[in-house]
Amino acid sequence: MKKLLVLSGAAVLAMSMAVCAESAGDVNGDGIIKVGYISKNLTDPFHGPINAHAEETFDQLVADGVIDEWTGVLDGQTMADVQINAANDCITLGCDYVFIAPCEAEASDPAVTQMADAGIKVVVFNSMTTSTEEVAWVFSGSDDVYAGTLLGQWVLDNCPDGGKYIHCNGILGNSAQIQRTEGMHSVMDEHEEFEMVADEDTQWSGEKAATAAENALAQYGEELVAIICDNDDMSSAAQSACNAQGRNDVICIGVDGNQTPLEMVKAGELGATVLQDGVGQLQAGIDAMVADINGEPQEQEAGNIFMVPFVLVTAENVDEYLK
Amino acid sequence: MGNKSNDKILGIDRETFRNFMGKYGVSVVMVIMIIAIALYKPVFLKPANIINVITQISINAMLAFGMCLCITIGGIDLTVGAQIALVSVISAKCIVEFGMPIILGAIIGIAVATVFGALNGFLIARFNMFPFVVTLSMQLVIRGAAQVISGGKAITVGNDVKNIYYGKFLGVAIPIWLTIIVFVIMYIMFHWTKLGRYILAVGGNAHAAVASGIKEFNIRLICHTISGFLAGIGAIIMLAKTGSGQSNLGVGYETDAVAAAVIGGTSFAGGIATMPGVMIGIFIIGFIYNGINMIGINANWQSIIRGLVIIGTVMLDSAINGKSRK
Repeated sequence: MKKLLVLSGAAVLAMSMAVCAESAGDVNGDGIIKVGYISKNLTDPFHGPINAHAEETFDQLVADGVIDEWTGVLDGQTMADVQINAANDCITLGCDYVFIAPCEAEASDPAVTQMADAGIKVVVFNSMTTSTEEVAWVFSGSDDVYAGTLLGQWVLDNCPDGGKYIHCNGILGNSAQIQRTEGMHSVMDEHEEFEMVADEDTQWSGEKAATAAENALAQYGEELVAIICDNDDMSSAAQSACNAQGRNDVICIGVDGNQTPLEMVKAGELGATVLQDGVGQLQAGIDAMVADINGEPQEQEAGNIFMVPFVLVTAENVDEYLK
Repeated sequence: MGNKSNDKILGIDRETFRNFMGKYGVSVVMVIMIIAIALYKPVFLKPANIINVITQISINAMLAFGMCLCITIGGIDLTVGAQIALVSVISAKCIVEFGMPIILGAIIGIAVATVFGALNGFLIARFNMFPFVVTLSMQLVIRGAAQVISGGKAITVGNDVKNIYYGKFLGVAIPIWLTIIVFVIMYIMFHWTKLGRYILAVGGNAHAAVASGIKEFNIRLICHTISGFLAGIGAIIMLAKTGSGQSNLGVGYETDAVAAAVIGGTSFAGGIATMPGVMIGIFIIGFIYNGINMIGINANWQSIIRGLVIIGTVMLDSAINGKSRK
């Protein structure tokens, strides 16, 4: 009798372990591993390649049998409440892991917290929401404050005499806008020879930045030495506007490493741009997920935060990044 | 022409079929849509998902009911998206920075939206300006005001405010209650009262309406004021949903509101609309968004699909109702 008990106990233990082993990655225990992907939007040139990478990689993971299904790219439309709706849809669909690139630090936060509350392992990438550090399973992004300092430093290095500059903002309130601006100020404000003469609400838009550049050129002429932009759609457009007026000497710089700015760096029309490796950020999150599914111990920094470095791209190293 | 009444469609008398489709055509479209999505993805019909959709449509519902009134009188209200931004910012500021009770902050925000709605109506009716032009310009003013007041920053509200969206009353999510209440009030106002008939009359033929003693100015003012008021309620729902008042909320929301009204049979020529129709239109828009996510349609095609489904629905409806809607 005792033997039977021991045997059956062992059998139960073995079975439950087998179930556990099988369900590694099946967070909600419904028998399949399903991954959700909520994009920031489908239209931004920075997010296009990231979404394409997601499609390619997740399709491959399904083909390889690592995961069973994924939702396809859900369109966040750069609207927080659309992202919240998509998060609810991911919960309904029974996702185990959801990747989200939040469009707003504050307003997209309920998307992250609701999924975390539902027991989903949430991978926040690219930019943080307010409670990402507490509730997200993984954050993989880049230090935007550091990127901001690179912007400032490039201007200091290239305009040693100082002068007037303008700053083109991203959409106000976006964490990348706030942090890049902070980093930029931390460098520029220590140098009294530089004066910020305009702080433009250019909303990540190249067209608006070009207009701001034209206005600044008209107003300050030779005194204008630099245009610091929160992204490089804006810096490349601003540089084009300056170049069109024969002011190739104005130093324009921004963050992202989008195709057009990189090509301009290659062609010598733009001095430099700061590359943000968005695909690398997503990949860091995917690597963490795959490791988790395979039950591997993860190499991670504090609080499951993965930082992907920014790179200053100039004529010297542009070929490495231009596809 | 022949005797049409002898023809049969699906075994039903042609005239009966026409009348039925005339009344319930969009509902039939919606049911077909639900069946199609559910066949492809059964999880779509899970109660949790249906409740999700009904909760999600609440913001657009507020905007679409108001939009329907403005379209019915031959106009449009393009300010509703911007109203969301302004009210979210004002109410959040009142609640968070001035420490007001939530209800007071919400009332102040909604009051501001109502005033802007009335201002739209006044400008349109008093100076005989095109509603499209007035509301297009006011949209800039209103969003600009939101930017000035917020300084472009997000104002975070606490869980007590978020409960307006995520909380439940008698087991049903509060936005669903709000949608039901507003629908019932709008239904009674539009279909049972004199005001509703006057709105239809002004939209159908303003001159004839004026000749029969209806004050056109008042009707236009009332419709736009209601639209502003409802946009204010939608904004509070949005504020609760996102937990943040900021000036970039609600960009482009007028599009879905117009689409819902039009799918629901509201005629741009004015004078034709029903509230149940608009409600169905709101549901269809909600099902389109949700269905696309459920099915997992290729990302880059989603926008095209959304547009085509809306056009298809309106086309199908007008084909069915061709005679009665013109």
